[in-house]
Amino acid sequence: MREQARDPKKIILWVVLIAVAIVQLFPLVWLLDFSLAKSTEMFTNGLLIIPEKIQWGNYVTAFVDGHFLLYLKNSLLINGLSVVLVVLISIMSAFACLRMHWKYSRVAYTILLLGMMIPIHTTLLPNYKIYSQLHMTDTIWALLIPYTAFSLPQGLFLMTGFMSSLPKEVEEAAVIDGCGIYKLLFGVVTPMLKPSIATVCIMTFLNNWNEFMMASTYLSSKTWKTLPFSVLDFTGEYSSNYAVQFAVMALTAAPAVIVYVILNKSITKGVAMGAVKG
Amino acid sequence: MHKLYSNRKVIFSLILPGMLLFVFAILFPIILSAYYGFTDYSGMGKVTFVGFDNYVAIIKDSVFWRAMENSLLLAIGFICIQHPLAIITAAVLDKLGGRAEGFFRCVYFIPNVISVAVIAYLWKFIYNPDFGLLNNVLRFFGKEADINWLSQDYAIWSVLVVLIWHGFGWGMLIYYTGIKNIDPTLYEAAAIDGADQKNTFLRITLPLMKPVIQINVTMAIISALKQMETVYLLTAGGPGDRTQFVANYLYQQAFKAFRYGYGNAIGVVFIIICLFVTVVTNNIFKEKEV
Amino acid sequence: MKFKKLIAVAMVTVMTTAMIGCGSQAADSQAPAESAAQDTSGTAGEEITLKVFSNLPDRKNGQGLVEQTVIDNYMSENPNVKIEVEALDEEAYKTKFKAYSMEGLPDVVSIWGQPSFLDEVLDAGVLAELDESDYADYGFLSGSLDGFKKDGKLYGLPRNTDVAVFYYNAKMFKDNGWEVPATYDDLLKLAGDIKAAGIIPCAMDGGDGWPLAVYLTDVLFKLTNDKYADTATTAIQNADFSNEDIKKAVELLHEADEAGLFQNGYDSQDYGTAQNLFTNGQSAMYYMGSWDASMALNEDIDEEIRNNIRVFTMPVIDGGAAKATDITAWNGGGYAVSASSANLEEAKKFLNYLYLPENLSKIGWENGVGMSAQDETAFMTGNETEVQKQLVDLIGKATNVSGTTINDRGSAAFKTSIESQIQSVSNGSTNVENFLSAISEACK
Repeated sequence: MREQARDPKKIILWVVLIAVAIVQLFPLVWLLDFSLAKSTEMFTNGLLIIPEKIQWGNYVTAFVDGHFLLYLKNSLLINGLSVVLVVLISIMSAFACLRMHWKYSRVAYTILLLGMMIPIHTTLLPNYKIYSQLHMTDTIWALLIPYTAFSLPQGLFLMTGFMSSLPKEVEEAAVIDGCGIYKLLFGVVTPMLKPSIATVCIMTFLNNWNEFMMASTYLSSKTWKTLPFSVLDFTGEYSSNYAVQFAVMALTAAPAVIVYVILNKSITKGVAMGAVKG
Repeated sequence: MHKLYSNRKVIFSLILPGMLLFVFAILFPIILSAYYGFTDYSGMGKVTFVGFDNYVAIIKDSVFWRAMENSLLLAIGFICIQHPLAIITAAVLDKLGGRAEGFFRCVYFIPNVISVAVIAYLWKFIYNPDFGLLNNVLRFFGKEADINWLSQDYAIWSVLVVLIWHGFGWGMLIYYTGIKNIDPTLYEAAAIDGADQKNTFLRITLPLMKPVIQINVTMAIISALKQMETVYLLTAGGPGDRTQFVANYLYQQAFKAFRYGYGNAIGVVFIIICLFVTVVTNNIFKEKEV
Repeated sequence: MKFKKLIAVAMVTVMTTAMIGCGSQAADSQAPAESAAQDTSGTAGEEITLKVFSNLPDRKNGQGLVEQTVIDNYMSENPNVKIEVEALDEEAYKTKFKAYSMEGLPDVVSIWGQPSFLDEVLDAGVLAELDESDYADYGFLSGSLDGFKKDGKLYGLPRNTDVAVFYYNAKMFKDNGWEVPATYDDLLKLAGDIKAAGIIPCAMDGGDGWPLAVYLTDVLFKLTNDKYADTATTAIQNADFSNEDIKKAVELLHEADEAGLFQNGYDSQDYGTAQNLFTNGQSAMYYMGSWDASMALNEDIDEEIRNNIRVFTMPVIDGGAAKATDITAWNGGGYAVSASSANLEEAKKFLNYLYLPENLSKIGWENGVGMSAQDETAFMTGNETEVQKQLVDLIGKATNVSGTTINDRGSAAFKTSIESQIQSVSNGSTNVENFLSAISEACK
């Protein structure tokens, strides 16, 4: 051990690793630091400020006026629902394209995957038009539909990949026992897909959790606004109060960071699996 | 049994939700976009058919080409800066082992879970020439720092840094997993042959990672093309369209300049370019594999 | 020329008010309110929800506060009416406005009485026509409604009279022995002096583009005076910006940049950043419209700075046609009612209530938010902030005003183009010729 510690290569290695960690984390520390100061204290040349008095009030303002709880609830609900839909639909489509016998299975698969290559923002303009004609703007559907649609290709891809590695014998045995297709799919196949379901959940959630472009185009009232809006709303409302803006940014970032740190291992595993396959 | 698997009703019911979603949320909007791309619709009022006028205008539109140029630059930045860094970090992490490995892996990924909205505003403050973190860091190291990071000269690079910073953890994790999947006996064999770490990395790790690298390079190019959110909030394409990207530009034209038809035409061109790039990169890699 | 008339009307109003006394003023304003009250009785008990779409996201300060106060008053006077406000800052607002106009606008909306915004909107027919005769007693300054009309029909009402000004920190000026500049050269020299003292001369919101366009207008107006409107409009209509005065104005803008008048990085910084530089004592001046006069009453701002805010207008330019009293001012923002409103009557009633002189105009005056488009002389108490007094004085003494700024005189496409290109010419990364040809292109 002692010899290793003196190894200059090891030292350089550690220095580099720690330097990268600092680069990745310091901006967040800075954010936290400034969020506890007063606006007038920010015009400084120092790296961090030691606030004269810690301004917890910034967070109270951010929490209350940023509609934190409402937006958090909306984010959780919309993301949760779209995750469920993506998992369900991708399992169904994957099974239909992979296991069922029909002429166009390959074509259907390709068409569904095509969505992965379409830049999401090109649908902003026409979708706005469509949703407004159908009076769906400012409703949960305006987010749920595109979130699900644009996460589906990736989900389908992962599901098909995993499903094709499942042994067919199990399914055949179930069929011989007189099992129908639906029961086979949801009772026998789905439980075997658990690892890839976890991956699809995590990927879909990460994709949509931070989305705000569609949200800001399709939504207008507070009812369904998602978490990023805490930040967007505030920069206008509190343009003259920097400290509160920092507080609302820290507050908005917090849930995702906390959940990530707690579930770090399983999220890493899920992302890793999806990333390598996708 | 064959019968069971070819039941049309069942097939139909299974594929229907996915297809409906595709038609309603992707296909139909694109068709509508194509339609408006042929009009001079301002977003309200009358719709007049103008043929290929919009497409001719795009060819002549210097801002559009600037946006494409920026996408290219960004893709190169991803491929030449972010990805090598990510691969090396991943390889180093892989060798580390123990708790430290898990710790650093976790820390590097954290920026990735933070919303783009927060990231963009945070960096706006970091880049502020008067009290921003970056100039203060330079001053801390004794430099006379008065740099305007979002100026005409630096802006595109500053945007690049934010995107690399934000996406670094993701890239690192992908390569890290790829490396973990490499058969450890290969390394053992290399060690027996007396290969040093550098050689092992170049001779074993990199070649075996090829498929992962291919996928990631393709993804990098596409995400460079698709870039919008960060730029929209950080610079809004400015100063003077210096950091304009296609998605941001079409949004600006449609909603700000009252040129909804033109914006849609840009959208159509954009889709074609994305499909084209995907096909081309796939083919390049396929040929190489042969 | 309009402005002389306007001042005349203002004077007459003051004198009449003074002679007849406050009684008649109250009676005047009562009239619309009464007729409104009758409407309510007709629909009494019926729950109505009005949606107001506003470009004032800060509801706790300045104009947003004024707007919200009037809305709250209206709701307490009309318990059956619920008003929901959606507020976005200007850029986001305009985007959303266009999006909304496809599906039907909210009942009452913020608008701008300028061609770049209103032309397309009126062509699309999404705004309800208003009856001009309703507003005979509202004290609108003469000419202020012009921008809101099409073919003689009125579609909106102006909220402000906006003046382009340099806010400056009087204490900082006094402590350092700096003088308010009398000429453009003085201004640039002053910039050097302030910079030498380690302070930012003038905070500028250059990231947005439009404040730079206002600055350009300000300079151009100082050069051309009476000919400004003609020069700008002709250039836009003919897609030809080769006019010498326009060239000179653009060069002067770039000279300001070279002299270091604006903060480092102004070309990429937003409204909030520029304002914060000034309100936190980092800059000695701040170039913005008169609506920001409410800074003087903003509790978030340090008292020493807040109480020392004063204004001056663009100084005269050597060889320019304008005097010091010819100022850049216009009637920009205002309100309109949606043509597709389900509660058209209630929406109009609310609009009329907004504009009762004792509401927007008076409450705005009391909150120090610059100048309304209505006659405010009746509300003078002598307790106004120094900035307000200065602004009243500026307008009172004005010998000519510019009207709509150059970026708002053409189509929306022209506006988008000039506002995204102007930073490049201002900071010198594009030369004047290229800039002018680029914006001509957008006029075609």
